[in-house]
Amino acid sequence: MNKPHYDREHHVKKATGIGDPQCFKGEAGKPKFNVGDKVRVRDLPDIFYTRTQGYVRGAVATVAEIVYESPPAENESWDNTEVVEWFYSLVFKMTDLWPDYPEYFAKDTVETEIPEHYLEAV
Amino acid sequence: MSDHDDHLHPPAPMVDEVSEFEVLELAVRELAIEKGLFTQEDHDRWTEYMHTLGPLPAARLVAKAWLDPEYKELAVKDGVKASLEVGVDWVSGMPTQFGTPSDYCNLRVLEDTPTLKHVVVCTLCSCYPRPILGQSPEWYRTPNYRRRIVRWPRQVLAEFGLQLPEDVEVRVEDSNQKSRFIVLPVRPEGTEGWSEDQLAEIVTRDVLIGVAVPKPGVTANAKRPVRKAVNPYGH
Repeated sequence: MNKPHYDREHHVKKATGIGDPQCFKGEAGKPKFNVGDKVRVRDLPDIFYTRTQGYVRGAVATVAEIVYESPPAENESWDNTEVVEWFYSLVFKMTDLWPDYPEYFAKDTVETEIPEHYLEAV
Repeated sequence: MSDHDDHLHPPAPMVDEVSEFEVLELAVRELAIEKGLFTQEDHDRWTEYMHTLGPLPAARLVAKAWLDPEYKELAVKDGVKASLEVGVDWVSGMPTQFGTPSDYCNLRVLEDTPTLKHVVVCTLCSCYPRPILGQSPEWYRTPNYRRRIVRWPRQVLAEFGLQLPEDVEVRVEDSNQKSRFIVLPVRPEGTEGWSEDQLAEIVTRDVLIGVAVPKPGVTANAKRPVRKAVNPYGH
């Protein structure tokens, strides 16, 4: 019986000398959201691995920056790198995340990066 | 006659304790070598390389940005390109020449203003801009810091000795994907006319993570107090 062959070097070949996430540049098409847009983080189911924090799920944020293109970590962890998406740097107000965050520090924020398929327009 | 001659002292253990993570790392490493993903020589080379890294290039980057507005603009726009001028090549400087999953090649330099203070964390694991800052301090990797800084940032910063007024926005940067972050703080008063070398000296590792602000005369990280986690709102 033949052993299955796993191509364990395709990422190395793609990223060497270019960098990751730079090696996925130009593969995601047009970004769906713009800087300044209000978006909500969807609470999608994940199998074993995610990099979308529990505390931002369901919360509304403002797009601060469109940062780079990459397969989402949830797919890349399974070596599924065909679908490349835009990543957005989102700013959440602390008072939106934590109900008892003091009002006098209402300016405080959290910034974090989330891939496009987790986001919906508000 | 000293009291050391009449009884035996057992030798001190070589290591106090081997954690489960160290056992896991060793197991995975040996499997990877057995499968031919990398060799023992690759691993040695990488480990030696990691131990040469430290926060000096990032301190230099900040000092240069304070002195040169054009360089500051470049640093904020393209941290990877700006790193080249302080001798850090994110893309092809490392032995693997593309970074590793824990050191992706996207550095973002977060610019503080008098009304905005950044502080960096990785709530999900321990992402850290290692090519430009070296190994992270132990406290940065603890659940205590990671959980509380996004929940009660002002209390955690106060533990580091940093108390900020209400009109300053605290922005916690949760490093969860492929970007890595350093903080470009506001240049402190009392540093007028300083050289790049003098300025770089006050940009400590803690300043670059964002849990401290630069002060003339302070060139070392403050000792982190070890305290039990306290939920300030009576949870």
